Amino acid sequence: MFLEIHNIKKSFGSGDCLVEVLKGIDLQIKKGEFCVLLGPSGSGKSTLLNIIGGIDRSDSGDIIIDGEKMADMNDKRLTIYRRKHLGYIFQMYNLIPNLTVRENIEVGAYLSSHSLDIDELLHTLGLFEHRNKLPNQLSGGQQQRTAIGRAIVKNPDILLCDEPTGALDYNTSKEILNLIETINQRYGNTVIMVTHNDAIRHMADRIVRLRDGRIRDNIQNQHKRSASTLEW
Amino acid sequence: MKNPLNKRFLRELRGDLGKYLVIFLLLVSAIGFVSGFLVADHSLLTAYNEGFEKYNIEDGNFTVSSKLNNYEQASIEKNGVILYNNYYIENQLDNGSTLRIFSKREDINKVCLMQGKMPKRKGEIAIDRMYAENNGLKISDTINSSSHTWKITGLVALSDYSCLFQDNNDSMFDALQFGVAIVTKEDFASLGKKDITYCYSWKYLHPPVDENEESVMAENLMKAMNKEVTLSDFIPLYQNQAIQFTGEDMGGDRAMITILLYIIMLIMAFVFGITISHTIQKESTVIGTLLASGYTTKELIRHYMAMPMFVTVIAAFIGNIIGYTFMKDVCANMYYGSYSLPTYQTLWNPQAFLLTTMIPVLLMFFINAITLRRKLSLSPLKFLRKDLNRKKQKKTLHLSHQIPFMTRFRARIIFQNISNYIVLLIGILFANLLLIFGMSLPAVLHHYQETISDNMLCNYQYILQVPISMMSMDDDTELEDVSYADLLHASFLEYSLTTTNPDAEKFSAYSLNTTSNPYRTDEILLYGISKHSKYIDLNLSDQDVYISSAYAEKYKLNKGDTIRLKEPYEDTFYQFKITGVYRYEGGLSIFMSQKALNQKLDFEEDSFSGYFSDSEITDIPSKYIGSTITLDDLTKISRQLDKSMGNMMYIVDGFAMMIFVVLIYLLSKIIIEKNSQSISMAKILGYHTLEISSLYIMSTSILVVLFLLFSLPLETICMEWIFRFYLYIGMSGWITFTVPLIVFVKMFALGVGTYAVVALLEFWKIKKVPMDEALKNAE
Repeated sequence: MFLEIHNIKKSFGSGDCLVEVLKGIDLQIKKGEFCVLLGPSGSGKSTLLNIIGGIDRSDSGDIIIDGEKMADMNDKRLTIYRRKHLGYIFQMYNLIPNLTVRENIEVGAYLSSHSLDIDELLHTLGLFEHRNKLPNQLSGGQQQRTAIGRAIVKNPDILLCDEPTGALDYNTSKEILNLIETINQRYGNTVIMVTHNDAIRHMADRIVRLRDGRIRDNIQNQHKRSASTLEW
Repeated sequence: MKNPLNKRFLRELRGDLGKYLVIFLLLVSAIGFVSGFLVADHSLLTAYNEGFEKYNIEDGNFTVSSKLNNYEQASIEKNGVILYNNYYIENQLDNGSTLRIFSKREDINKVCLMQGKMPKRKGEIAIDRMYAENNGLKISDTINSSSHTWKITGLVALSDYSCLFQDNNDSMFDALQFGVAIVTKEDFASLGKKDITYCYSWKYLHPPVDENEESVMAENLMKAMNKEVTLSDFIPLYQNQAIQFTGEDMGGDRAMITILLYIIMLIMAFVFGITISHTIQKESTVIGTLLASGYTTKELIRHYMAMPMFVTVIAAFIGNIIGYTFMKDVCANMYYGSYSLPTYQTLWNPQAFLLTTMIPVLLMFFINAITLRRKLSLSPLKFLRKDLNRKKQKKTLHLSHQIPFMTRFRARIIFQNISNYIVLLIGILFANLLLIFGMSLPAVLHHYQETISDNMLCNYQYILQVPISMMSMDDDTELEDVSYADLLHASFLEYSLTTTNPDAEKFSAYSLNTTSNPYRTDEILLYGISKHSKYIDLNLSDQDVYISSAYAEKYKLNKGDTIRLKEPYEDTFYQFKITGVYRYEGGLSIFMSQKALNQKLDFEEDSFSGYFSDSEITDIPSKYIGSTITLDDLTKISRQLDKSMGNMMYIVDGFAMMIFVVLIYLLSKIIIEKNSQSISMAKILGYHTLEISSLYIMSTSILVVLFLLFSLPLETICMEWIFRFYLYIGMSGWITFTVPLIVFVKMFALGVGTYAVVALLEFWKIKKVPMDEALKNAE
């Protein structure tokens, strides 16, 4: 198994204000799998994603990626892990405002010794003609596509997406989902996506439902559909 | 692959031009001004010090009433000195000034030609450069006395007159009314022997190693000379104000500029600290994303440090160029405006480089590195959530619903921005400190001039001198050692020192040095006052020791304290218990009864040293009058202080104002920028421009005004402390520190004006932000 999550627990606050966000999560994800984490607000899905991404630490439990235990990694090793293996896409695009589309993607490419061809990727993202524009000259969808480009260009093993369509309209959201699907298929990255949108589960290989800090469902999707066919 | 983040540098520079321009200007002006001053001061002081050897400056001079004969000269030279003629003639010119004319010098006290040519024939003259400037004289101009006319061929600096003291007993020099000049030997000979002052300079064959030895050698020499000739003046080098004053004054100026530099450094550290914190806050989500993507902390520290360091290094480079060229000349000219200094060579000043360049660059480096290191140790998640506070806000301040909504809103804005406002307050304190430093000094000097005029002990204060020829008649002198002429003088002395002026009142006086100041020795003038004095409003018993208010203020002395003073160059100490403070700001003085002072110093019971008088005393021969202190003399001090320090103060003043404007601009900009998103959102919600400004801009404006007002008394206390410290280490005497109201008004107006401009500029910028863009950036 590529990604193994064993009994992950995480709480915030202390004393009377202690909130247990993750109450023992066990999950296994295969290489190249498209996994969707669903659940209402406060169910712990983003916290789980952040722990997998190494930008937050669990209180207990283990995460093993490609045979390597995350708990054994110090901050420096964790940075290298993120640098080598992870790509991050956020709901907010967090682009660097004074770099062009191409340069924002280069920011990701710089981190990898086997990065993808940027021009080819720009074509795939549909951003080639916008490559010299600054983020504030783009629409929300175009900005998110740039953010995806920045995450994917280093050809990461795992692509972590935190509500990537949360700030987008229906059509743009579908465009973005199509893009992530294409990337998953073309480059074979493992994709873990956190979303509120129940319809997105149809395009996933694995559907994980969280509620109140626990996994309620962990289903292998037998009837996977293309993103373009999704309706909500 | 090159780091793509590097492509941001130029764009960031353009995008945040205001911030970088502020840092750039701050550094360029500080480095330019301070290094310019230190380089000029160091170069001129070196030229001045080297001048002693280069121009073969005398070890002292004396004056006799007639030319020394060969025997007298040889007898004096037997005491380990070589004598040189340094005769002069004083001529009253038709412009009202006095010109002291020397013949061309070849061996001692050589002349530095600053401009033009030395005189070559009769009727040609080279005059002191500064005297020429003060009197509007140029090369080729003609100057006239009642009997002579000269054409100016050159402007010179006489190495023994770097400061134009006409009389060594004068309390201040006057380069307007007195000058020195050189004519050819032939011309000098034709000026008439009867007017010649027979002044001789001496050089020791074995120069003394320190001032103590110098004083002993000078005293022995004077005693030896008195056996041969009748001295009318005797000035060893260490007492010669025309030579020594310049060097001492330059040291004092350096102390003032060094204090200014420390203030600037504090401001710089502060500005660097807040700009980098502001950058981190502004870039929070970008930093979070980069960290989450795998950028290392080191890479980000390097990235965020690159631009400030680049600007700092460039500013340091340009600042040094300006310092070594333009500002150095400005500062050197300031000295040339006060002193007749010789030409100088610009010298590399490692201390200036360290203080003005290395320290700011290192300060920038470490403040940025430490702040970034500390901030970037937070998790990427905290950056992504813009949650950069290490401490969580635990409670929300309860505001009653009785308070109108807009007031509550405004209060919330203030509480939410409290840390920014604290930064603004500290910034205003720094900026105002610099401003009060620049603005108060001329005002203090002006006040000093006024106080001195109102606070004189009397209109004329005469300090008598025993003719030098009598001075060898000390206790050790045998009667047979005293010449007949000396005895004759002595018998007339009592008669000669008596005046019939009814205003005159005798007093005793003696100078002792302080021992309690580790930085500088002050001369304390002890007055022995006669009973029922008309001039000193004190009824002194023989046990009473009153000190002047200036002395009390400088040394923080009070009634009941004991002071310890010493004889200059001797190890004799005197102790006095203060019984009161007398309001007198004109000098550091002690007032005792005449009897008590004479007893304390082992003087004859009825001996006295001078007269207080409200009208001029005309019946005492001038040779018995060592010095006269009149209102004119005292205003001469302030005039000259204004001249010698004034230029410097106006430069400091201008510089302080510039830094003040720059600092207020930067801080106000940061605060308003931080609120710009909220302001745009309020616009989206439908608030009018006026309502928005009453919420955001007004809150900041009210606080700026309050901070400006609050800072004024605080700055006064601070500045008083700095001023006291400066006077304590850098200057003899005392000047009371008082800031007139107009200075506060100016400071306040400048602060409010600067802020208003920034607020208007920022608000105009915010008004222009399209609402959709505000929404897009709402992340």
